Amino acid sequence: MMRVSSNTITNSLIFEMNRVELNQAQLENEVTTGLAVQNPSDNPAAMASILNLEAESSSVTQYQSNITQLQEQASTASSAMESLQTVAQSAGEIATEADGTATQQDLNNYATQVTQLIQEAAQAANTESQGNYVFGGTANNQPPYVVNLNSSGQVTSVSYQGNTTVPSVEIAEGVSLSVLPVGANTTGTGPAGLITDTRSGADFFNHLISLQNDLLSGNTGAISSTDLTNLQKDSDNITQQIATNGAVQQRMTAESTIEQDRSAALGSLTSSQADADTATVMEQLSQTQTAFQAAAQATASFNDLTMTILNYLE
Amino acid sequence: MSLGLFSVLNMAARTMDTQQAGIEVTGQNLSNVNNPNYSRQVLDISASASVATSVGVEGTGVQATGVQQIVSQVVNTQIQAENSASSYWQTQQQALQFAQTDLGQQVTGSSTSSSDSSQGIASALSNFFNDLQTLSTEPNSLSERQVVIGDASTLASQFNQVSQQLGSLTSQLNGQLQTDVTNGNQLLSEIAGLNRQIAMAQATTGSSANDLLDQREEDIENLANLTNISVAPQSDGTVSISIGGVQMVSGDSVTDTMHVYNAGGGQMLVQAATAGTPLTLTGGSIAGEIDARDGPVATLSDSLNNLATQLIVAVNGVYQKGFSLTGSTNGLFFVGADASDIAVNSDVVNNPALFQASGVQITPDQDDTGDNTVVLKMAQLANQTSGGLNNQTFSQSYANTVATIGQSLSSANNEVSDQETVQQMLQQQRSSISGVSLVEEMGNLSTYQNAYEASAHVMTTVDEMLQALLTVQTS
Repeated sequence: MMRVSSNTITNSLIFEMNRVELNQAQLENEVTTGLAVQNPSDNPAAMASILNLEAESSSVTQYQSNITQLQEQASTASSAMESLQTVAQSAGEIATEADGTATQQDLNNYATQVTQLIQEAAQAANTESQGNYVFGGTANNQPPYVVNLNSSGQVTSVSYQGNTTVPSVEIAEGVSLSVLPVGANTTGTGPAGLITDTRSGADFFNHLISLQNDLLSGNTGAISSTDLTNLQKDSDNITQQIATNGAVQQRMTAESTIEQDRSAALGSLTSSQADADTATVMEQLSQTQTAFQAAAQATASFNDLTMTILNYLE
Repeated sequence: MSLGLFSVLNMAARTMDTQQAGIEVTGQNLSNVNNPNYSRQVLDISASASVATSVGVEGTGVQATGVQQIVSQVVNTQIQAENSASSYWQTQQQALQFAQTDLGQQVTGSSTSSSDSSQGIASALSNFFNDLQTLSTEPNSLSERQVVIGDASTLASQFNQVSQQLGSLTSQLNGQLQTDVTNGNQLLSEIAGLNRQIAMAQATTGSSANDLLDQREEDIENLANLTNISVAPQSDGTVSISIGGVQMVSGDSVTDTMHVYNAGGGQMLVQAATAGTPLTLTGGSIAGEIDARDGPVATLSDSLNNLATQLIVAVNGVYQKGFSLTGSTNGLFFVGADASDIAVNSDVVNNPALFQASGVQITPDQDDTGDNTVVLKMAQLANQTSGGLNNQTFSQSYANTVATIGQSLSSANNEVSDQETVQQMLQQQRSSISGVSLVEEMGNLSTYQNAYEASAHVMTTVDEMLQALLTVQTS
């Protein structure tokens, strides 16, 4: 039989009660914070995966914000392209009406309208989004198009001071996207030119200037034989760019949805690693409370017992 | 002839003396019931020498032969060893708790949403790379450049802070090491002193000096808290103590002491002062301090330094090829070499236009500032693995570092908890052998009291008999 000294039971009760209390404190902390993992030592493996999930989640959020930024640019570009399309249509109508039946006075009036249209188109081509000119390529800190007028107020030339580089931005890990065409690209390769592109034959401003000049000179033959055809090419090119823009916007919407889903999935994965299972924790907490009460009760009855012996011996 | 009345009177007196000694020992035990270092004592009694009389051999009563201390040397030796182990892990636990706190990597958030978020270097790292992504969508924006520079500075200063705190943790551990060694040497000289007193008491009285033994055991156990020791009891009652194979106490003299020395590069270790040999310590707080400092704390510090170095090299490698809004190139984004001194180049901090985001030379009129090639490449570094980081990305490598220190602390926590149980069991065992039991002592008390009263009766009876005898003679 093991001998029991007076402090054996007390010491062992204190030890047990300390253990229970420590356990209780941990569980209470889990209940109040709702977190099963707070410090790396709580669960090192879970901590590492929480940090990795959070890093991933944070970059997904960033890609979404990149997409929002690109969507804004794309939508600004889209309205500008719609305006250019309207100009192209109006110019086409003028070119159709300016046939042999029109008087020079009519043609002069048409020419004035075309001059206005060129100004309008230049304004659209110089559209800004967040302080940057959307059709200037990476030379986007200045208006890409400059309209030069003669003394009578007619447009002599519209010069392009942008370049043929468009920045691409990441919309997902390793997926970069350029959403904007440049104003002019006469190199035959690289990003599409919205106003001028040798591949499609578009050269919108020069074609408008030709129309303006042919109207002024009464050269209706050239208008119907050349200008009208050229303007059609411009219109087709702009339509093509509007379609591309629409497709890119759709792709971004789709990508954004994917990333939203991914973000939610990552969030719930993180939660599953980090969050406390409240029901289980509450259950454990009530168990520890019972254990603590039992230990306290045992201490009390042990004291009673000792007192009884002392009283008895008196 | 039998013993005679006077002999019986003597017998009763001697018995009463013996019972009184029993009461004294019981009293001593009861007084020390709550002294954790006290070992209960029992009175050794034996029948006193018997005398041959005409009626046969008759006893002459009882006598106290000594006061014996009830201890188990086996349990004591085990407690000493476990003290060293417990204290080793407790010291590690404490140091690693500090290291984990210094790192400041915690999960905060609530259970109601997926808003669990980490703080510390992890989020600073994410913020930095995300800012670069945002800047890549607007490379000429001065405000976005400010954001990048601001968050990069935050990241750098977090590295600096953790590095500095880990540095001071290391010096704290060195300070504790020195204190522990000083205390250990003090204990060695106390043990030698007690050895002298114990040997003297044993030589002069022939019995053991129980309370001094308790005191010495306490000192030995305190020493075992500091370092692993080996204790060899000697026949004269003294103990010899060696630490790491070097004898430190022999008889009543301290033959050697511990000494903290610089083993090179500021690494403070312990050697025997006189023998000059480095001591290989495997237990106790001294070894705990050394192992925590040169183990997990050093690993944490090295990993963070490596992470910072790789970040500086990778970011600058891309950044240097870029061009700023003013057309400058070949500048540095991060300056410094590791976690202790990483910082954002002050030129860029003072003038965000100098941030080299563009991949092409920007003209003096700054019309062509839309190129984002370099800043995009910088942002993409977030997802690139690198050989210098064990083929991990920056955030993976950091997560790994966090998990490693967490694992070390978690192991230390488990060890401490296991040790507590072992210690508790051994203390129970010791208490079972050496602890005072009130019940037992109360029982002894009444036993001795009854025996004392009984002998007193014998004395009264003999007295009455003598009175009767005297009356007969005088009448």
